[in-house]
Parts: sequence; C-alpha cells; structure tokens
Amino acid sequence: MNGITPKNRLLDVLNKKATDRAPVICMGGMMNASIVEIMNSTGFTLPAAHDNPDLMASLAGAIQEQTGFENLGVPFCMTVEAELLGSRIDKGTLACEPKIKQEAFGSVGDVIFRDIDEMLESGRIQTVTSATATLSQTHKQLPVVVSMTGPISTAASIINPMAFYKELRKNPANAHRVLEYVTELLIGFAARSVRAGASVIAIGDPSATGEILGPVMFQEYAVRYLNILTEAVHGFGVPVILHICGDINKVRSLIPGLKANAISTDAMVNLQKLKEDFPEITTMGNLSTYSLEWGSPDKISVQTQKLVDDGIDIISPACGLSTSTTLANIRAMTRTVQGE
Amino acid sequence: MSDNKEQTFFTALSDAVLDMDEVKVEEIAHRVIKEKIDAYRAIENGLVDGMNRAGQLFEDEEYFIPEILLCSDAMYAGLNILNPYINREQQRTRKKVVIGVVEGDTHDIGKNLVKTLLDAAGFEVVDLGRDVPPAQIVNAAIAEHADVIALSTLMTTTMDGMASVIKILQESGHRDAVKVIVGGGPISQSFADRIGADGYAPSAPAAVKLLHKLFKDSIYA
Repeated sequence: MNGITPKNRLLDVLNKKATDRAPVICMGGMMNASIVEIMNSTGFTLPAAHDNPDLMASLAGAIQEQTGFENLGVPFCMTVEAELLGSRIDKGTLACEPKIKQEAFGSVGDVIFRDIDEMLESGRIQTVTSATATLSQTHKQLPVVVSMTGPISTAASIINPMAFYKELRKNPANAHRVLEYVTELLIGFAARSVRAGASVIAIGDPSATGEILGPVMFQEYAVRYLNILTEAVHGFGVPVILHICGDINKVRSLIPGLKANAISTDAMVNLQKLKEDFPEITTMGNLSTYSLEWGSPDKISVQTQKLVDDGIDIISPACGLSTSTTLANIRAMTRTVQGE
Repeated sequence: MSDNKEQTFFTALSDAVLDMDEVKVEEIAHRVIKEKIDAYRAIENGLVDGMNRAGQLFEDEEYFIPEILLCSDAMYAGLNILNPYINREQQRTRKKVVIGVVEGDTHDIGKNLVKTLLDAAGFEVVDLGRDVPPAQIVNAAIAEHADVIALSTLMTTTMDGMASVIKILQESGHRDAVKVIVGGGPISQSFADRIGADGYAPSAPAAVKLLHKLFKDSIYA
C-alpha cells in the first residue's frame, strides 16, 4: 500500500479528489456480502447478527477481511427503519434476508406519527450504531459505511406498497406528510451513525425507481426526499452514496439533480455512458450480481477490469448479492481492482 | 338499444378506466345494468378496452405503476358490478394462470401488474401472493389445473427459486402440462433459457403478448 488508507481513498473519491485507483466496496444494507460461505466458516451468522451488535461487528469484520472489500458495511438488511416504525419483520434465515411480514399501516392516512427522538433510542438502530462504534475503533484505516433504506422504500415498507403507490397520486398531501416523517427519522438515524463513527452513509431506495414512479413522481417524491436526507448528512460532515435500482433511463435527466456524492446503479446501466453524459457525477457500480453468483472467477475478473478501464469511480456489486455467491468469485472482483 | 348508444356507454367505461376514475366507472356500470346493455360486451368493449389502452400508455412510458394500479382499481370496480350479469353461455373456460412471487422476495408490484393485465386480457388468474415457496407454487398449479405458471422476482437472490419450480415440475412429471414464464428486474432471456422456462417477458404488457404467442392467440382452454 502506497501510504493511502482505504478510508482516505474512498473519501477522496467521494470528495472528487484524485486518487491512485478506484476503491472496491460493498455498501451493506440491501447490498451486503454476508454470504453463507463466510458465515459458516466464521460462525458469525445471520439472522442472529441482525440483533446483536457484537455479532454484527464481527460479521462485518469477517466479510471485509475475507472478501477484500475496502470498507465495512452494516447492517445486513433493509428492515431496521420499518421495524422501528411499526411493521412486523420476518428476520429471515442464514441464507435468506429479513423481509417485511406485515406493513404497519394500510394507507398514508392511517399512519400514526410517533415521537422521532424516542424511536431513535430504541430498536435495532442501537444495534447498528453500537456495531458502527466498535468497527470504527477496531478498523481505523477502513471506512465504515452505514446503509439506510431510502425515504420512499421505508414508507413503502410501513404502508401497504400498492396503496402507497396509488396514494402518491391520489393523496399527495398525506403522502408528503408521511415522507417528511420518515425522512426525519432517517436523518436522526444518520446523525447517530455518524456520531458512532460512520465515514459514509449509503442509501438504497429500491422502491423509488424511475421505472416504478415515472419522471414526474420521481422528481416530486424521490429526488426531493433523497436530497433532504443527503443535505442533512452533508451537514454532519459525511458523504452520501445513493444506489438507484433498475433501469434509470426514464429518469436519466434528473440524476444530476441528486445531491449524493456518488450514484450507484444496477448492472443494466451503462455507467461509462452516464459519466460521459454527466461528467460531474461520481459513478459507482456495477458488476452484475448474476455473474458474481454464476460466473467463473476468470469471467468476473474480465468484467471487473472493464469497469476499471471504463473509469468507473468506485467499483462495487450492482445489486444485492445472492447469499450463495462464492468467496472465490468475490475475491476475483476485489483482487482485479487491487491489481493482484 | 341502438349500437350507437351502446358504443357511447362502452367508450365512457373505457375512458373512465383510462382516467383512473373508479367512481365514474361504477356509475356507468350501474347505468349499463339499468339500460339492459349486454354486460359481457360492456366488460370487453369498455372495461378491458380501457385497461388495454392503459397498458399501451404504460408501454409508451406515459403511465407508470401508480397510474396502472389506479386504472386497475377502476376496472375491477366495474367488473364487480357487471360480472354477475354475464350470461352462462358467454362464460367459456379460459386458460388459467397461476402467478406468484418466489420465496425470499417480498416485492410484488411487478406481479400485481402482470396479474391485472392478464385479467384484462381475459385469462383466469390465480394469485398466490408474494414470498411463495417453489413447492407450493407447483402444488397450486397442479391443483388448479393451470395452463401457465408465471413467476416474478425483483431480486437476484431469489432467482434460484424459479429454477427450483421447473425442477420440481420435471421431477414430479408435470413439466409438459404447464408452461412456465418468468420476468422481473434481474431476469433475462438467457436466464429463462438456462433454467428451461417457456418464455421470458421484460415487462407486464410483454407478459400478455408472450402468452398470446405461446397459445397462438387463444385465451380459451
């Protein structure tokens, strides 16, 4: 290593400073790398690690060490916020991530607005911040990325999503009230994460894609609340990575309006072209998780090298990794970026 | 009743579906009953026509998920009123589709969309919901004598479940009895080919077209 720590390298890229090479990271949350192979070999397992801060930190540490990803990423799901807001969660199994069992509310009009500060002191936000505090102490050279669920996805996890999508159009006043409420909670979560030592906040908002919402509602709801959250995090002195799921074509022109420091996309998006069209965007991605699961190390190496050669700023998986992905395949990815 | 007047009702139903106006659809549907207009034709030429137009706007990227869901609500509101008035002889057995989201994935927007459009296209759709284990999907298809299993996922992590469905069908000797079609964000034609699915559709309207192709344009069993 030529003096630069992985933490500084990632922060430099996110702050648009020149670096020796692109970092290779895996942001956690919806896109975590807690594969079965690592869990079985270390004994740091899910679903237990979702609730236990020591186990969460240990698993995040083991993932980093074994995969070679240049960050620590917590948590390992996208249900922390929804659980706090009242939805019933199925914590999943070793190989299957947690999911919403039952949304707390049937419609935007039913949402009960609880005291945010009180909520922030409870639930698994404590688990995440405590794990973050540990990791930031034990791994000072590595960035701790805390992944959060974006405003729309959180709202669609506490309100029946079918009703929620309709109400974005039918009941915009209440929809906005709910999104303001949810965004405030997320800002509080981010503040606590930063205080605990998070170097970067990552946001995944899979329910807020241009494919689902179309450009008008993407601007009115997604861009608006993502930017409120992002600017609040900037106020805490920390950069933001935003992952947008699916094909961004329908909202392509709105992407430069997002204030996140880096935009991560799914595998079908041509990041080189995105960079060409909007040179101001710091791009992140987008190695196919399908390749990561089914491909050979050689093929993965070739695909990763292409991303590096294309000048993608941060190399990472394009979507959530399958828990049956092999370590050998992930290592092929990280080692290619690291020039090994 | 003149054809002209009937057509005015059909057009009004179609427009109200397209305009996402559930209340108006109900109001017109009640008038259709009162005027003794043929309920079956009102469904086909009114409600379904409106939903097909909405599907076209979705393909043209003028409508998105929220709009399609609202159109679908309007269509179902009309169907609830008109369905009891359909004549027996008009009810032919239609091709049956069992639809579900594979276990591990709780996203069901895509699936709901496909269900709506297949309903509108005249297929009989049995919805198993989301997060369904592969064996349960197969069992339901066998029990329902389904012609099609339609599977959707939004997550790469649950794609294995699609392959499992086909494997279970093969092992239980039911593979030839039912067509399997797949779709959803991470799915591609090559994935569909690899797991031995009968077809792949990149979007909900494409799923309807795919089934029309597989069944040579007949929705009847």
